[in-house]
Amino acid sequence: MKEVKSSTVSVVILVLAAGAGLLGIQLRDRVDAPIQQANSMVSPTLVASVENDVTVSIAEGDYFREIKSLVEREYVEKVTDEQKLAAGAVRGMVGSLNDPNSLYYDKKQFNTFLNARVGKYEGVGAEFALVLRGEENLAASKEPDEGGMSAEEALASKARVPRLMVTSLTPGGPADQAGVKPGDLVYSVDNHWVINTDMLVRFQKAQREFAAKKISLSELNQVRKEIRAKTERALLPMRAWERLMMGTKGNLAVTWERNGKKRDTTIAKATSEMPGSGVIGNAYRLALRQGAEAGLKQYLQNSKAKPVRIDLRQNTNGDFAAMQKCLAVLAPTGTYGMMAGDRAETNKPLVVKSGNAAAPMVEFLVDETTRGAAEVLALAMQSKGRAKLAGGKTGGAAFSTLVVQIPDGSGYTLVTGEYKVSGGAK
Amino acid sequence: MNVGKTIFVGSLAVLGSGALGFVWRDLKQGKMPDAGATSRLAGVRTVAKQSSEEVFRQTFSQIRHGYYRAVKPDSLKYAGIQGLMGSLGDPHTIFLPPRAAAAFSEETRGNFYGVGARLQGDTLGAAVRTVFEDGPAYAAGLRAGDVIIQVNGKKVSGQPIDDIVQQIKGKEGTLVTLVIARPKAEKPISMQIKRARIVAPSVESKYLEGSKMGYVSISNFAEPTTEQFDKELSRLDEKKITGLVIDLRSNPGGLLDTAAELMSRFVENKTVVTMRGRDGREEIVRSYSGAVRNWPYPVAVLIDENSASASEIFAGGLQDYKKATLVGTHSYGKASVQNIYPIIDRSSAKITIAKYYLPGGEFIGRKVDDDGIFVSGGLKPDVEVELNLDGEIEFGNPAKDNQLQRAIDVLKTKN
Repeated sequence: MKEVKSSTVSVVILVLAAGAGLLGIQLRDRVDAPIQQANSMVSPTLVASVENDVTVSIAEGDYFREIKSLVEREYVEKVTDEQKLAAGAVRGMVGSLNDPNSLYYDKKQFNTFLNARVGKYEGVGAEFALVLRGEENLAASKEPDEGGMSAEEALASKARVPRLMVTSLTPGGPADQAGVKPGDLVYSVDNHWVINTDMLVRFQKAQREFAAKKISLSELNQVRKEIRAKTERALLPMRAWERLMMGTKGNLAVTWERNGKKRDTTIAKATSEMPGSGVIGNAYRLALRQGAEAGLKQYLQNSKAKPVRIDLRQNTNGDFAAMQKCLAVLAPTGTYGMMAGDRAETNKPLVVKSGNAAAPMVEFLVDETTRGAAEVLALAMQSKGRAKLAGGKTGGAAFSTLVVQIPDGSGYTLVTGEYKVSGGAK
Repeated sequence: MNVGKTIFVGSLAVLGSGALGFVWRDLKQGKMPDAGATSRLAGVRTVAKQSSEEVFRQTFSQIRHGYYRAVKPDSLKYAGIQGLMGSLGDPHTIFLPPRAAAAFSEETRGNFYGVGARLQGDTLGAAVRTVFEDGPAYAAGLRAGDVIIQVNGKKVSGQPIDDIVQQIKGKEGTLVTLVIARPKAEKPISMQIKRARIVAPSVESKYLEGSKMGYVSISNFAEPTTEQFDKELSRLDEKKITGLVIDLRSNPGGLLDTAAELMSRFVENKTVVTMRGRDGREEIVRSYSGAVRNWPYPVAVLIDENSASASEIFAGGLQDYKKATLVGTHSYGKASVQNIYPIIDRSSAKITIAKYYLPGGEFIGRKVDDDGIFVSGGLKPDVEVELNLDGEIEFGNPAKDNQLQRAIDVLKTKN
């Protein structure tokens, strides 16, 4: 299969056995037993003894230290920044989860991500999520994260490549003005096709059809050519995210996909804002940021409306701790379902310790732009009959997410639980 | 700013020591903490400046215990190490976890326990493409063109080819029963084959009737490659060929020594490659003496973008010493040397330890732009010709392989 190249090229190697004076010893010596001899430089704790037939497990910290010093000693260029190595390892670990909601962000990306959490946007002024759509049939792969993969490798591997979907828009921001809607998928950015597995699926289908003599060779070659043209200039989803989220100057040509139809737009990048908490019309917009509970409390005291209307739309990246404080303002003491994982240590009841005994009934305005912490809030209140949901279906991402920044300035998100009504006291 | 301060102190209690570290830097520099920075980091856990090892440990433990789905500790650990090595930005410096490491060493040694045949996917099962003449399958009567429809009594139609191969492979000396469909046979044929250690030939040759030329395809540079090359070449020489095409397309490389041995068939005691390591350490690999063959006919070498590493050293050397004409498209541009470090848990680390330069002194390292698109690097063929993808392709058949046809045409002009 020449057309969709596998990763063979990166597996291209010259095997040389090392030895103490690596570049000084005779070629002959090195090549006779390329694998077995290559160990005298590795720390004795990690070196494989050739006859060893037992499976050994090495603790993760020791493993990291040994490989790090091996790289520092042997790599052709001087390795000066050990935090970069750590960040790489974090990227690898987070990426291995293959979870579109647990993501590693490099320093620049993480900065953008943090700004968005306080409502500050650049680029097209939209919030995006990675979603897997209809690709669950492809076996999950053990490949590391997309950052370590070329576009070709991502295509050729069976990795589930998620798509980039708009989850909310800054009101009046560049994308909003261009008619972009939540749910739109990013198809291409500046004529770079955003990679997804559709192409691979299509090619495999064409191959099967050719094998079964349902299509001709020239038809197969047509698909092959199209894929080549596209993959040569393909962008991985997070790279596309970067282009869409960063910068305040210049235009972006973006093609969006809605219900299978494509739409071309030219969008001028600019700063824009996602509004904070405050009264908008006859409802209170609750932006789940630090300190949100104070404003909410005040609003409840002053509001005469029954039920109290709270707008949770355009609310996709709320802070979970802030949400819990708001829940305590909106609801009496009790248990409101749980944040659940697949084992005991990750099941955490959603408990309000000292709640608001006099809390009023609430009507939440929700739709697909209600995700994450906001969605958990809505579902938790609804589960106990404390709130009615009005609007549309929520986003379907009721997760609690941990956000961590590591020393080099990059960071990651980690889903720690998914909201479940049962399991907690109902 | 009273309110701001209260919130700030409050957040300290929530965030704990990580946040303290963050704020402490600002305080030490005589600044009030930047309100924007702290509020942005609300709800963000920070890992204070710590050793990289500590960052790794903490993240590992965070994911292992905090992630909502169960994670296999070993997979997580290996993914972390892969990421560590990936952070160097060199696609050739990689970590190979235990399973991948085993497959790699199998690949470079060219040995596996099987029956000695190359298979390809077929609607009925697995089509036999090549049968190695010194393997057990050949002895048992398996021939190219047969289609394997059953393995050990189980139908294999509809299964992926890798799965079928997996069923055929097994322990040395054990038996596998195949049922095959043969084009002209009336009934399926059943045969028992004893699995053996197979040395997969990396060299295959063909006498091209029409042009009276020899075609030698080298699929990779493994340990037995040189011997196989000599053997195939002797066979072709018996036919009194008038030219030779060496096909290195899609040859990803392999052992450097094999490239040097093959070079020794053309030039003796000449630089094959110069390796420059860290701190400017240099080593020159030379071809051996006493192995030069007689070349009474012109030689062409086919390359493409998947020809890399040892392929490029061999082809580049032939080009520099004017021993062959390169035909095809530019090669990959892999100009670095890796070493493999085995690790006690059976994984291994492959690390770039040096860069190499061809005999003419040129560095052919691949350069790509931000989008990963090829900019420069690799060998430039003397005669540039793209593979025609429009028709049916059969490598080694000049009628269905326009690059080979072109190489033959070039050789004809040299006779």
